Amino acid sequence: MDIAQGLWLGLQQAMQPMMLLYCFLGVFIGTLIGVLPGIGAMATISLLLPVTYHIPPTAAIIMLAGVYYGAQYGGSTASILLNLPGTPSSAVTCLDGYPMSKQGRAGVALFMTTFASFVGSMLGIVILAGFAPAIAEIGLKFGPAEYFAMMLLGLIAASTLASGSPVKGLAMVVLGLLLGTVGTDVNSGQARYDFGIPELMDGINIVALAMGLFGIAEVVSSVNQPREGQINDRITWRSMLPTPADWKASIMPMLRGTGIGSFFGALPGTGASIASFMAYATEKKLARDPSRFGKGAIEGVTAPEAANNAAAQTAFVPTLSLGIPGDAVMALMLGALIIHGIQPGPLLMTNQPDLFWGLIVSFGIGNLMLMILNLPLVGMWVAILRIPYSVLYPAILVFIALGTYSVNNNVFDIYMVAIIGLLGYALAVLRFEAAPLMLGFVLGPLMEENLRRALLLSRGDAMVFIERPISLGFMLACGALLAWSLWGALRQALRARERARES
Amino acid sequence: MTNPQQATRRDAHDLLGGLLMAILGFAAAWYAHGHYELGTPRNMGPGFFPFWLGLLLGVLGVLIALPALVRPGVRIAVAWRTLACVIGSLVLFAAALKPAGLVLATAASVLLASLADRSMAWRTRLIAAAVIAALCWLVFSLALGMVLPVWPWSV
Repeated sequence: MDIAQGLWLGLQQAMQPMMLLYCFLGVFIGTLIGVLPGIGAMATISLLLPVTYHIPPTAAIIMLAGVYYGAQYGGSTASILLNLPGTPSSAVTCLDGYPMSKQGRAGVALFMTTFASFVGSMLGIVILAGFAPAIAEIGLKFGPAEYFAMMLLGLIAASTLASGSPVKGLAMVVLGLLLGTVGTDVNSGQARYDFGIPELMDGINIVALAMGLFGIAEVVSSVNQPREGQINDRITWRSMLPTPADWKASIMPMLRGTGIGSFFGALPGTGASIASFMAYATEKKLARDPSRFGKGAIEGVTAPEAANNAAAQTAFVPTLSLGIPGDAVMALMLGALIIHGIQPGPLLMTNQPDLFWGLIVSFGIGNLMLMILNLPLVGMWVAILRIPYSVLYPAILVFIALGTYSVNNNVFDIYMVAIIGLLGYALAVLRFEAAPLMLGFVLGPLMEENLRRALLLSRGDAMVFIERPISLGFMLACGALLAWSLWGALRQALRARERARES
Repeated sequence: MTNPQQATRRDAHDLLGGLLMAILGFAAAWYAHGHYELGTPRNMGPGFFPFWLGLLLGVLGVLIALPALVRPGVRIAVAWRTLACVIGSLVLFAAALKPAGLVLATAASVLLASLADRSMAWRTRLIAAAVIAALCWLVFSLALGMVLPVWPWSV
């Protein structure tokens, strides 16, 4: 099936009333949680997961995906108005967005970020539609050894490219893999690490894990944080229109941001946050007058927003075509797909083309809806931002508790969230990244299965990972990444010691 | 509001973190070795993957903790009161849901959680509890149709 046929099939899928409804619901909720600081796409998707059990898989994924890329639109609103990022990837937008609003140009900033987000998303979708089938073709040649090697590369990339020490990142990945082994081993029927608790025989509930690690830790860290700035000015239509100079200054940054975003989004281990940061840094380097940045330069707002939206779309490339999640949210999305009985990977395109193409077309429709939601309705989001966090977070906690309960109608899951929340907060305090843990958890069972099969086929010969060419390629990349990051960490440590000696 | 971080002789974060990882890892490996069939590489048993992962985690934990012994760091800052209120509110909710019903469990949970924010007035806390309880009933019980006892006397 070529791209044109696929898009036509997808259009027929995505234009069905139910699909449109769930698409709208997804992008609406996505914008809402993107606007609100303290609750993000991760927590929301895991909360909505149990809700999706009762609707058809395509609608479910359309909605969850809508939450994901919708959040990238809303995130910039709080950054611009309150100097507080609504999503991690909008943190960079604070740098020039907040100064712009202090200069009375909040409306323009909001308009341009929405437009940049739209451009980034649409171009990202084009890349997704173009590349995913091609990559899936290559993926069809993969055997268990290749899959294992590729997942290994994904995990090592996630742990080394994330901020913080690579050793700590690796430890998180391994802990995630270990937590993934809890439950009944599919191969032998042996219950692992259940300690006699029947609920643990199905493994750790992914919703409880995501909520505890990300939701609870986030809430505990955010309470009692001082909130800067009050929203005083009303945003009128006229105040939103950018000047011709603004347009001229923004076109190239938007396109560059899209390129950077598409690249980092598709790469496993990196996502929207790194993409937006890189886009900002690039614009600052390329600018004729870099001193404008940090004081309300419009490029500093449009480039990162285009980047994080493009990244959100292209993140689906490895997830759908190879079954390898690029970041923690994609890992959760992958988990959602598996729960719905869909096996992402190269066969997805041939077995369920209506799901794949319907999803892609729904991205386009969703982005159009988001343009409408974010431009004329921006006043609504601004009003919501006026709700103080002190009232919001108890509601978030109860929603987390009820959402987790709804998975199995078992209060045990709420206790799980509490326990994992403790662990999540401990990890956050001790400066461990939770995202690699999530990736390890989702990929763990898959990796074990592929490792087992690969070793079975090779009769216990571990050399198989190096003998097969594609697998060898992945392994070499793993080795290179490990060496590069360890060398980088070593250099940092030596430099720190030099500085300590000098002082 | 943030105090200047106090310097310490050892990097407490990584020392504690590495130790935690090492304990978790070695404990997991030891448990797997004792309870599950390890098998051979050619024929992996249920214990194979967890055992080696546990060992790897333990080694990584040691690798994190050792350099932390000689590297200076800062005091670990923990928001104990907030943590207690947040975790406590979850546990309270879980314990109260079935016996007391959705509305009372939500209200109690919100009140406990709100204690984390010292600056909140008691009136705000009570209003928030009532509003959120009503909201939860609307969203979860009515709109989503979840099977939940609403009051202590509900079935």
